[in-house]
Amino acid sequence: MDVDLFVPCYVDRLAPQVGLATAALLERLGCRVRFDPRQTCCGQPFVTTGAHAEARRLARRHAAVFSGAEAVVCPSASCVATVRHRYADLLDEEVARALAARTFELGEFIVKVLNRSDVGARFPHRVALLESCHGLRELALGWPSERSGRPTHAGVSETLLRSVAGLELCEPARRDECCGFGGAFSVAYPELSARIGRAKLAALAQSGAEFVTGTDASCLLHLDGLRRREGAGPRVLHLAEILASQEPA
Amino acid sequence: MSAALDGRAARLLPRGPRLSAHDAAVFALRAKRDAAARAEPDFERLREQAQQIKAHALDHLDLLLERFEASAQRAGARVHFAADAAELRRVVLELLSQAGARRVVKSKSMLTEECGLNPELERHGIEVVDTDLGERIVQLAHEPPSHIIMPAIHRSRADIGALFERELASPPGDTDPARLTEAARRDLRGRFLAADAAITGANFAVAETGTLVLVTNEGNADLGTSLPRLHVACLGIEKVVPGLADLAVLLRLLARSATGQPISAYTSLLTGPGPGGELHVVLVDNGRTRLLADPRHRSALACIRCGACLNTCPVYRRAGGHAYGWALPGPIGEVLAPALAAGPEAARLPFASTLCGSCSAVCPVKIDLHDQLVAWRAAAPRGWRERWAARLGALALGSGVGYRLAGGLGRALWPLLGRRFAANPLAGWLASRELPPHPGSSFRARFAARARRAEP
Amino acid sequence: MSARDEILAHVRGAVAHRVAAPAPFEPARRRADFATFAAQLAAAGGAPIGPLAAADAGARVAELCRVWAPEGRVLASDAALLCLGSAGPWRPIPADAAPHALADVSVAILCGALGVAENGAVGLDGREARPRALAVLCERLVLLLETRRLVPELHAAFAQLPEGALAQPHFTFVAGPSKTADIEGELVLGAHGARELVVVGIDD
Repeated sequence: MDVDLFVPCYVDRLAPQVGLATAALLERLGCRVRFDPRQTCCGQPFVTTGAHAEARRLARRHAAVFSGAEAVVCPSASCVATVRHRYADLLDEEVARALAARTFELGEFIVKVLNRSDVGARFPHRVALLESCHGLRELALGWPSERSGRPTHAGVSETLLRSVAGLELCEPARRDECCGFGGAFSVAYPELSARIGRAKLAALAQSGAEFVTGTDASCLLHLDGLRRREGAGPRVLHLAEILASQEPA
Repeated sequence: MSAALDGRAARLLPRGPRLSAHDAAVFALRAKRDAAARAEPDFERLREQAQQIKAHALDHLDLLLERFEASAQRAGARVHFAADAAELRRVVLELLSQAGARRVVKSKSMLTEECGLNPELERHGIEVVDTDLGERIVQLAHEPPSHIIMPAIHRSRADIGALFERELASPPGDTDPARLTEAARRDLRGRFLAADAAITGANFAVAETGTLVLVTNEGNADLGTSLPRLHVACLGIEKVVPGLADLAVLLRLLARSATGQPISAYTSLLTGPGPGGELHVVLVDNGRTRLLADPRHRSALACIRCGACLNTCPVYRRAGGHAYGWALPGPIGEVLAPALAAGPEAARLPFASTLCGSCSAVCPVKIDLHDQLVAWRAAAPRGWRERWAARLGALALGSGVGYRLAGGLGRALWPLLGRRFAANPLAGWLASRELPPHPGSSFRARFAARARRAEP
Repeated sequence: MSARDEILAHVRGAVAHRVAAPAPFEPARRRADFATFAAQLAAAGGAPIGPLAAADAGARVAELCRVWAPEGRVLASDAALLCLGSAGPWRPIPADAAPHALADVSVAILCGALGVAENGAVGLDGREARPRALAVLCERLVLLLETRRLVPELHAAFAQLPEGALAQPHFTFVAGPSKTADIEGELVLGAHGARELVVVGIDD
């Protein structure tokens, strides 16, 4: 099927390999992948800093760019959450709803639309999942630890990772506690952001993981930045990179 | 430029054993809540019901207040209203002076913290003794509570041991919680027996019967209100619920959400004064009607002050309650501050969050806390720096040309942005993290090149 | 304009009386037996005993009092006296007892109005627990609870409160001894109220 890539602005500029892995992976799964170069930014930083007017401008642009797309797939749960959860406050109700219905996080698209859980990947390493807060609690990509009762759905990212050949999934303590990035929070509240991040990094390291992966490259860059300053901790790789990987044994 | 709360957190809860102990102690409450929620098959349905009960109650609050007033008066209580903190303080002072009360025992009331009652009473020569152990500890330490349910959770046993040694003559060097509690028990017994009046909050007020509901584990509210003749109960107007069936739902959620208990040790239903006694109920607004009138934020008034959102919040656990700078910390504190707290910082508190959404997920009355934080941010007054940063950002990201220019500029300036100097906008990041290396070319450039290579 | 009028005016202006009340809550079915109640009470630091026949309760409670406070002051309510008989160290609560005069009571024995299986709480009616301070001033509290007065959960409890329970000054659910965890989260029993709570189940 035809897929329009929605590549977050920071992935485009700072982590292009994530976008390329996403494209390669979707093509391997039989999709025809398009990238509309008119796209810029979904507006998330403006939403979360309260710059409502600017957020609306960017939302309008984003909606216009993707108005003709059949399926919009994005390797970032937080950007997808902005479109699905916040655009209703910024755009005409009908436009927002239509766009939300066609916008998917990458893993979600693979599991729920393409109905695949094994994507033919091979990555023989110990990996811990950084559960995306937006993905978990706003997109219902998994079952958050706050919820009681029996899970009615398995976590999307976890499902995909468990099907990767050779991959050993490590379970950190407080598996869905926030990593402390929080967008502008990471710069405006540097001490708190770092404290939360260091604790998260320590928990991930203690799980025995060599790599940390997740659906949000921004969170991963924050953890990686801490790791490089501290000098220790698991390395980061986006979920798309692992799923696109066919590393030999 | 980092925010004031960030600086206070660094100062008041420094990195090291204190920070880890605070984080662990508070998260333990979250873990207890999880266990209690899992053990109760009704839990998620109770949350749904509670949300609806509160939404209905708030939309009929005028009728509920009138009904409660009539029922309470019929039972022999006197009902007063206070528009703001100053009026609350005035009403309570007057009630105490009319009764000639000089020695007061007090059980936990976040409302009275919010309204600054204790300092005012003390200024008028009234001895106020907080009887909740945690409140007593912070009172002796001359500081505010740092948590809604566990006021002294930021204090180690060593701190408390030293404090009690100084103030209660407990044995030097003794830090055993059981023995320290015993020392407080002895001290407070005397004060209960000698008190002229008791001041309490109330967890709920039942309109149908005019009943006040006081929930404690220690029994201090019961001791306090059964010994002196005069009882003054202060509560926010939003605490009134229609009837007993509603109370059952909320009580089944309160202790489970706060401490993981199915119910607290003492749940007292007080209707009218005791024999020979006087009961005064003071219903306080202090900004609540403003929230009531705000459709986006009204549901914040549903809060039953369980503290679950604090316990799960990564920011609260690593900042500590005192960093927030007003009576209510944590996510609910940030959601209420712009309407109820004074000062320029109140409007900035909603920014102190990663928006992880865990708070909304644990709230027993399903307040959409993290969404309300986003809404407050859009309403917050913005300085010229913020406005221009947003405008420039939108210029850069809002058009193809702007985006390309900004991208090029970013790449060119990247080495400079990676250096630590005062005016660097990324200074906050660099304080504890490395910047990612700039990849050189963008995704779009590489994707286009890839597409060209694929062309025949 | 008084504060009352001002506040009510603001509230009236803010509300619309449109949001409907939810349908009554239907709790999951659960048992209302003494075993369930006892497990909850024990988890809260209380001590369940029984269920016993009324005839045996007297001896058991007398034994408790002997162990706890052989010389101590033991008071029992009229209803408790009826249940336990006179063969024990208990005395009736003095008729016009000022609450302050009861600060030295070692053991207080009262009858519970109902028991809640989901959480181990006993409902203490103010007409029984008089004066009110007695149940929190005593060192140890014994509550006699007829097992037929057990209800499954709090919804049932509130629906089945004794007649006039909220037409008089107090009705308290007691679910364990007084406790606190305010010092480093470590649980301590006996903060301000009773150090120990015993609930004796009575089978008719």
